[in-house]
Amino acid sequence: MILVPITYKGGVFRHDEILDLIEDMGGYIIQKHMIAQEVVLQALIPKEDIEILKTVSRPLAGEVKPAPLVGTEIAVVSMSLEIHHLPHASCDVAEYLRTAGAKTNMIGLARGFGKRIGLLSDEERDIINEHDLAIYLFGNFETCIKEKMPTFRRGIQVPIVVCGGPTKETLMKIIDPPVAGYIGGLGRFMHRTKEPHELARLDEIVEEVSRVIDQKRTGIAKDPLSVTPARLMDIILENVPAIHEVTSPIPVVVQMDGTRVKLPYDPYAAEIREIEIEAGIRIADVCDIRPSRMRDYILLKVKPFSETGMLV
Amino acid sequence: MSTLEYFEVDSTEPVGGQLYRRIASTVITDHNLLKVLERLRIYIDPSVPVFVAVGITRTVPRTITVSDLAGVTYDGQKITLAIADETFLADLLQILWKSYGKDQVSQPDRFTIEIQTSGDAASSGIEDLAVADPTEGLFKDLIYSMQVICPEGFRVKKQNFHNGRFWFVASENTLPEDVTPLVDEQFRIMEAAS
Repeated sequence: MILVPITYKGGVFRHDEILDLIEDMGGYIIQKHMIAQEVVLQALIPKEDIEILKTVSRPLAGEVKPAPLVGTEIAVVSMSLEIHHLPHASCDVAEYLRTAGAKTNMIGLARGFGKRIGLLSDEERDIINEHDLAIYLFGNFETCIKEKMPTFRRGIQVPIVVCGGPTKETLMKIIDPPVAGYIGGLGRFMHRTKEPHELARLDEIVEEVSRVIDQKRTGIAKDPLSVTPARLMDIILENVPAIHEVTSPIPVVVQMDGTRVKLPYDPYAAEIREIEIEAGIRIADVCDIRPSRMRDYILLKVKPFSETGMLV
Repeated sequence: MSTLEYFEVDSTEPVGGQLYRRIASTVITDHNLLKVLERLRIYIDPSVPVFVAVGITRTVPRTITVSDLAGVTYDGQKITLAIADETFLADLLQILWKSYGKDQVSQPDRFTIEIQTSGDAASSGIEDLAVADPTEGLFKDLIYSMQVICPEGFRVKKQNFHNGRFWFVASENTLPEDVTPLVDEQFRIMEAAS
């Protein structure tokens, strides 16, 4: 069964029917937003059932759209959280990626500014590595990007997409060895992105990130995960009552190769480890469970089939 | 940015320079400095690295005195101030307390201040007493906006404001003790363009 990421937008009226339908299809609801009279669902559903969902949602004035980034957690790395980079461009990029379904975390580096003095601490590096992809928001000068890039890529294992003021071709020329993706013409700016060419640039980010994510998906498909992260999320939501007490909007974040559970590690890790997925198979058998460097959360990384020899 | 007589952002990297021109334009508009600035020139060389901003302000407002914000009347040894503009009232009270002592200054209502003087009130010269210097705030605003425009890593800064001419130099590395040649060159280019 191939699951495809979608966004459903519709009214509150009878939306529970849509929720039931997605569950009956064997799909997973990653996120549910209720905004006034509107419901926005981000879900993974079986590819062959999209038409059924569209047919059912039509009388409810619902809209089903493909959302390529649902089920991914992306780090938007800003060189600092000073007025120079906030709220534009950092928030604009993070917010736009959310509309495409991604769960974005903004990471403001403590000492990221400056080409010579810019630094990446081990904590920042580890946090970035917990994500599926990192977007680096650099400045407008190629001299600076060229000089600071080696420092900022050291130890980073996830694909990096670089945004900067110079053109895409210039970025490709100055960054060596190459990174996963480039977006030119989007460096430091201090106004809100609302002009058509600026929005086009944000669309370009979504496109580039989707391309990189697809590459990563293809890589994962070659050695599939022992359990899909979305299913893992469902199992945790079913079996750990404490998760429903968490006030965070997304208590269990689905990543491409794991999940982030927003519960403290020490009291809950053992409980999660022992949860049974299917007859005799526990979460600990198919996942690495470790403390996240983001607050005190629990990070689950699913082992591939080649390591466990099972698919559940 | 049409109200500025001269506005130029120059850089050794033309693409970066253009993008910084937009940043400068946004910051100056956001900080409401359009009315104050007459000319502005910014030069950025990221390879040195150095950021130089030079500019000329329009006629700077003069020092605000008591007579600008209050009507003054004298009655023997008593001065009565009828406050017309409350903007600098807090500063005025501080100055009056310091000059005459808290016991001698009373404020029977929001818009009235009464002062008891030891000698003849009319000869106290209170009308010309300086209350605030708007240039001080203007300078702070100007330098703050230059700090916002300049790349964040440029942490070493020097600035000056004198007779309506200001300059701001910043770098990531240490700056030379005397930045006058850097500044003078930019002033020269700016003045040659007019």
